[in-house]
Amino acid sequence: MIPTIRWRDFGLGTGLLMLVAAFGSILALYRFASGIGRVSNLNQGYPWGFWIGFDVLAGIALAAGGFVVAGLMHMFGGEKYRPLVRPTILTAFLGYLLFILALMVDLGRPWTIWHMIIYWHHESPMFEVGWCVMMYTTILFLEFLPVVFERYQMDRTYAVWRNVAPWIAVALLVLFAIALTHSAAWVIAIAAVLVGFELLVRFGVIYRDPRMPTMLLMAGIMFSVLHQSSLGSLFLIVPHKLNAIWYSPILPLFFFVSAVAAGVAMVIVESTLSAWYFGREIEVALLRDVGHVLCWALFGTLALRGLDIVLRGIGTELLVLTPQSVAFWIEVQAGLIIPLAILLTPDFADSARWLFWASLMVIVGLLINRLNVAVVGITSTYGETYYPHWMEIAITAGIVAAGVLAYIFVCRNFPVFTPAHSRPAET
Amino acid sequence: MMAVKGLLIDLPRCIGCRGCQVACKHEYKRQAEKTTFFGGPGYQNPADLSPGTWCLVTYNEVVISGRYEWVFGKRQCMHCQVPGCASACPVKALEKLDNGPVIYHRDKCIGCRYCMLACPFVVPRFEYETWNPYINKCTMCAHRLAVGEIPACAKACPTGAITFGDRDALIEEAQRRIATNPGGYIHHIYGLEEAGGTCVLHISSVPFEKLGYVLRVPRNPMVAHTEPAMKAIPMVMLGLASVLGVGYALRTRKQRNEGHVDAPTSDERSGR
Repeated sequence: MIPTIRWRDFGLGTGLLMLVAAFGSILALYRFASGIGRVSNLNQGYPWGFWIGFDVLAGIALAAGGFVVAGLMHMFGGEKYRPLVRPTILTAFLGYLLFILALMVDLGRPWTIWHMIIYWHHESPMFEVGWCVMMYTTILFLEFLPVVFERYQMDRTYAVWRNVAPWIAVALLVLFAIALTHSAAWVIAIAAVLVGFELLVRFGVIYRDPRMPTMLLMAGIMFSVLHQSSLGSLFLIVPHKLNAIWYSPILPLFFFVSAVAAGVAMVIVESTLSAWYFGREIEVALLRDVGHVLCWALFGTLALRGLDIVLRGIGTELLVLTPQSVAFWIEVQAGLIIPLAILLTPDFADSARWLFWASLMVIVGLLINRLNVAVVGITSTYGETYYPHWMEIAITAGIVAAGVLAYIFVCRNFPVFTPAHSRPAET
Repeated sequence: MMAVKGLLIDLPRCIGCRGCQVACKHEYKRQAEKTTFFGGPGYQNPADLSPGTWCLVTYNEVVISGRYEWVFGKRQCMHCQVPGCASACPVKALEKLDNGPVIYHRDKCIGCRYCMLACPFVVPRFEYETWNPYINKCTMCAHRLAVGEIPACAKACPTGAITFGDRDALIEEAQRRIATNPGGYIHHIYGLEEAGGTCVLHISSVPFEKLGYVLRVPRNPMVAHTEPAMKAIPMVMLGLASVLGVGYALRTRKQRNEGHVDAPTSDERSGR
């Protein structure tokens, strides 16, 4: 069976999405003909702008649901989250592919991106980011493969995948450790733990999960943690340019905890929207449990941010009326305080509608936070200003539209929501 | 060990002839820029560093004892001892040479512009107007140093405002000039401590902020700010691998003891 595109499935919404995606692609082509300056307002004082803040920082954070839900289910025994695992892994995988697409537009010479594989520089946070992207996208691809195997009933390949995928994960982790540490002692220690675990699983000392190799999930979690935090590490190098409201030595930790919250919020929003789009029932009880996780993640983020502000003694800067302090309060109110209040109110926390709105606020708050770090909080030295060009926004909109279309296409044609064909291990 | 070279920019000696600017442009065959008179502050031309202008004399109107006077500044790469741009670059396109210069390998560059963000002196410039863009910045004429020549700007300067030499000797010379003429200089060698020390040193008769110099520069090398996060990577990996692995083994020990060890080998072999 070949996935079929049925034209009658296309409604007005899909048509609009295609239009936005097509327009974005045309503008992206124009950028490759004439240079970044023609389609953006990026300048010598603001080398990074809307694309980095929205596509890269926020896009990756919103894909965090993939590792949080898969981790909750497989690593911590949250069997109830099972219906969510495949859709979130799909979202994360598509999210990463789209992010790479967006990066191709933002990078000056994207056709040289493979240089990161051969020219190693373990001091550079950007090197860590690049490697995490490559590694985690590979892991997500491996995690998504069972859906393809089931769709085409490739049981033999499925069995091979179960045996080989964990070793690929171990190899990628060890290679990553070599590239980022340049230290034999660390590499040997990390490799020993990973290989030891996998061997114990194979010899039956540790339970072997028939559904998904545990090593694959561990690799996904490790690369995700490193990737989310490394995006924060990027901004550690600008103590002189980033406003003190956001610049903190624990920026990587902020990026990680807020990504967990946003990723979980994305799971709720996406489940609600796809249930509505595909005409399925919303799993309220399940989403309520996800809401609890979101509640804890928000609380953790808020507590850390508050503690950081107190310890660094920048509280007074938040009370002075500047564009930055206003941006901070919008970000924290919209993304942390109000959604947390909603989730802590029993009547609201039980309602699917309020869960949806609270999660949407968390996502918007995260977008504002990442744009604040990447653009609003950055001071240009020689008086340059930056405001995104409409073409920057149109290209990003095109990429997001393409992502939604890809998600709909895969959900229609592959067993994402209901395993259509049982796995060989379970029969 | 090769001596670290540097430049001493003695701003009171500068007469604003822009000979260095022209020599630099000539040396690197950079395109002329379309500029407007009074496009920058006063007679300054062009307004700022750009992909085509790696060396710029700035014109500043400063009030000295109640009168406006021209005071010139110089903008170019500072050639940090531990450069932020080089530690930021993911592909080592920017490299610190043993004898001082920070050079750029354009064939390696992927165009991520992280060096521009990392540089505390806002020096690297990006070619926004072309489909195949590179970063541009002063190289302290590393190719000239390699054959025993001195940088083009220092060679061109008619008044001795730009002196090329060993960094240590230049620091001593700067201190001597300030000490012998304490009224003529402010007591600050710009570049001695900025960003952990730079190879280009500036001395001035007026406070540097009046000349548009960046003063919000950390005193330690830029890499010191990212190093703790990068050093934590192996600890995070080892910690996560151990905690997740042990946690999983403990949680699933019941399933294993109940004999749920899956044995799908016959199915796997047959391919079912």
